[in-house]
Amino acid sequence: MTTRTNTRSDTVFTGSFEGDLRRYLRGLGGLLAFLLVWWVGAVTTQPTYLVPGPLESAYAFVDLFATSTAIVVPILGSSLVLPTGLAHLAQTLFHYVPGLLLGALCGISLGLAMGWNGALEDWLRPLVRVLRPIPPLAWVVFAIVWFGIHHTGAAFIVFVGAFWINFYGAYGGVEGVSSDLTDAASTLGVERDFSMLKLVALPSAAPQVLTGFRTSIGRCWMIVVGAELFGAPGVGYEIINASNNLAMATSVAYMFVISLAFLCMDVGFRFVERRMLAWR
Amino acid sequence: MSEQSSTEPEEAPSEKITVRNVSKAYESTQALYDISFSVSEGEFCCVVGPSGCGKTTLLRAIAGLDDPDSGSVLVGEEPVTAPGLDRGMVFQEYALFPWRTVRGNVRFGLDRPACECADCEARVRELVDLVGLEEFEDAYPKELSGGMKQRVGIARALAPDPEILLMDEPFGSVDARTRDRLHAELLDIWAQTEQTVVFVTHDIDEAVTLADRVVVMDADPGTVQSTISIDLERPRERTAHEFVDYVARIRDELGSPVDGRY
Repeated sequence: MTTRTNTRSDTVFTGSFEGDLRRYLRGLGGLLAFLLVWWVGAVTTQPTYLVPGPLESAYAFVDLFATSTAIVVPILGSSLVLPTGLAHLAQTLFHYVPGLLLGALCGISLGLAMGWNGALEDWLRPLVRVLRPIPPLAWVVFAIVWFGIHHTGAAFIVFVGAFWINFYGAYGGVEGVSSDLTDAASTLGVERDFSMLKLVALPSAAPQVLTGFRTSIGRCWMIVVGAELFGAPGVGYEIINASNNLAMATSVAYMFVISLAFLCMDVGFRFVERRMLAWR
Repeated sequence: MSEQSSTEPEEAPSEKITVRNVSKAYESTQALYDISFSVSEGEFCCVVGPSGCGKTTLLRAIAGLDDPDSGSVLVGEEPVTAPGLDRGMVFQEYALFPWRTVRGNVRFGLDRPACECADCEARVRELVDLVGLEEFEDAYPKELSGGMKQRVGIARALAPDPEILLMDEPFGSVDARTRDRLHAELLDIWAQTEQTVVFVTHDIDEAVTLADRVVVMDADPGTVQSTISIDLERPRERTAHEFVDYVARIRDELGSPVDGRY
């Protein structure tokens, strides 16, 4: 009986190694097929600017890092010279990062409070229902009239996007805390509501909170580009700026800058998440 | 306040837990109906009964996790109003904190409100040793078998050194061999700590193996059917005549599920 189970798990192990290899090869195949379709599309489409080819885009990408641009650091007011691609990425991060972090902080705080406190939940639930469906980009009009469409305005829009995703992560996580765990904690001397939140609800909700945050990293990239299409400085603005000059390959290059930036953040955060949730 | 014993009705001084006319109803079932019984200091008391007879509700009332609709529970002479560190509880589904290691789980009750023991690390190690998990002290609950999880549950409940240990079908989901071993270990621990134990189970063999006294409950409404003292030397042999007789007697009291109540 035991032997049979062992053999089976061994097969699964070797199988998964071969499976990994096969998966990588298939993934590579998919990428190559896409490049081929893209290339054929680019070669056969007229006029040529409609679909910039892969090679042309790669050149444009390299070009972004071969030239440099001066940008102004907000608040400090000093100027900074960086390779063009990085410079505009930095501009985006100047509003993306504060918007994301502040939105996550506020969203998580309110989500925890609302999931934990029944009275607060009663008060706010209808309000949340009404405000939640408004797409973050719809707030762009207020971003413009309140802050002007620059770093602050864009940060505000990112804030709204990050807020809701993190709010729901924390809210759902706290609502899902098992009563067995809170019972166990109260028999072990946890008396105050705040201690219960800190010692039981928060660690128990951590997986959902972190998943919410990771989702908001991606969603906020979409939002930030949207905000920049209205004129805030950054990679999104450069995409539309390049296309206004019919330099479509440069637009594609900036699209890849966004993709790479997101990938780095996602991989980095997944790593942190795995470390923090080793107990799962 | 507890010194005013002259005005209190005279209780036997050795009663550790007194359950007085406790009733509790949930929507459609009368989980507990006018239940009264008591447990002496240092006694190992098992509560048996069919599922739905309110055994768990009774235990939760003693723990202070649920308030009875009427009646009261006294620990010593103090009425129970809330959970407290004087009553440790072991849960049926372990209820371990999955984000804490074995050591972290055991430690939990020592830090509430603040660590007061001379050497908490040593205390935790001692408890982990007591339940035989030395090699797993840094493991997370997901890495443990059911029996090991419940050992952690027991060590965690013992950590604040409670006077009373409440156990809610703690070995219900471990295999028979592990359960036998856990019974022996639990009796060892009980002999060392001299705690008062209330142990809920639906397994009559388990009750006769462990208890000084068995409280037999009846379902809907949940009442105490009878109380039987188990007068056998430990360790007890399940095949012994007297053991089998006790089991048969309790089964009679419970009434077989086929021909209804006794």
